[in-house]
Amino acid sequence: MKKNGRFYFLDCLYLLIMILPILGGIVLRVLTHPAESGVSIRGAQVFCTIPMPVQDLIISESQINSWLVILAVFGLCLYLTHGLSARFPTKRQVVAEWIVEKTEELVYENMGPFFKGFSPFICAILALSGFSSLLTLFGLYPPTSDLNVVAGWAILVFILITYYKMKCGPWQYIKSFGDPVPLLSPLNVISEVATPVSMAFRHYGNVLSGTVISTLVAAGLSGLSAILLGNLPGILGEIPFLQIGIPAVLSVYFDIFSGCLQAYIFAMLTMLYISSGFPADLYEQRKLRKATIKSVSK
Amino acid sequence: MQTLQVISVNIWQILISLLNLLLLFLVLKKFLYKRVRKMLAERQAAVEASYKKAEDAALHAQEDELAWTKKMQEAEVESSEIIRKASVRAGERRDQILADAKEQAAGIVRQAQQEAALERRRGQEAMKQEIVAVSTLLTEKLLDREINEKDHRKMMDSFIDEIGDYHEGNE
Repeated sequence: MKKNGRFYFLDCLYLLIMILPILGGIVLRVLTHPAESGVSIRGAQVFCTIPMPVQDLIISESQINSWLVILAVFGLCLYLTHGLSARFPTKRQVVAEWIVEKTEELVYENMGPFFKGFSPFICAILALSGFSSLLTLFGLYPPTSDLNVVAGWAILVFILITYYKMKCGPWQYIKSFGDPVPLLSPLNVISEVATPVSMAFRHYGNVLSGTVISTLVAAGLSGLSAILLGNLPGILGEIPFLQIGIPAVLSVYFDIFSGCLQAYIFAMLTMLYISSGFPADLYEQRKLRKATIKSVSK
Repeated sequence: MQTLQVISVNIWQILISLLNLLLLFLVLKKFLYKRVRKMLAERQAAVEASYKKAEDAALHAQEDELAWTKKMQEAEVESSEIIRKASVRAGERRDQILADAKEQAAGIVRQAQQEAALERRRGQEAMKQEIVAVSTLLTEKLLDREINEKDHRKMMDSFIDEIGDYHEGNE
């Protein structure tokens, strides 16, 4: 493909779509957040409240940051798929192909051939969850530490699970609660409802606990530093030297490792719940039966 | 500015988040998966096409090879035929040459024999003459008398003939 000025212009545009949201988020954070020190564990900052029935709609940092992530991922997609060619793959094309092939492989291995179309959805979960958690690297509020955000994803997954369970008709779905004995049906109902709740709380709790522990450790180190090194003369006594280095290690674990791991766990659980809830054998039988009825009536 | 509690539930936020995930799903599907899959399909088609081409070429080559081996076999048969014919002809020619040579040799031998026989006869004749002359002279001298040369010669001839016959019988 011939690279001309237009190509480079579009490249820059896509890169800007990718980078500007993050920069904008940082600017917004700096402008709206007062400088703070000490222990302060709070939820997302509220930007505006729109009156709605039942409950007011609150636009907070989590929503804004989620949109920023979506915008950045959109820019990334545009950038990676810019100038695709079948014969001469560029570096970014290799990355794009790798993403697509790996997610398709993952979905195929965990869900089987029937759910082939699920790879963009799983990729969306991985990207949204992973990048949302990784926003903490920029000092931004991670939307995944807001219960509402993760609950929304878990409910969507729950809807999908139920939809695929109902593929064989509502009667089959209701009957499945009586397995293995009808006596256990209350437990089955509870476990059904527990699925999205546990998914939401697991993800949210892991990310939030990372933030909480990081904050507590940072505050603790600051206090310890004041006790141990407070006697140093002049300004040296005011600098919390112990805060250097140690929080970074925690950040590597809680922000990077835990964030990516939780995204992976959420995606894995989604795949497993959806594919295991789907009665594949019954569905095949049903399809066969319908086909035979159709052919007989003809 | 006000902040939310650490744990707060808001159904509208939940709904927004749900829609966010759907939105990102659609974005990824449209802008990443669709494009990459289309490109992969194109590549697959190109690869298939080139494979097809290669297979066609291989098939063609095989046909060519078959034709050529057939031709080679024919040529071999032909060449062996030619060689066979040539050797047959050469054999004939050789026989002819040999026969000619033999004939010639026989001719030469016969001629030589004839010549030899002629020579011998001539020699015999000369010797006869000589002997006759010598014996005549001898007898003339020995006997010292006039003899009828004519009678004498006759007698001598018969004598020499006897000797010659004897000679020939010994040979």
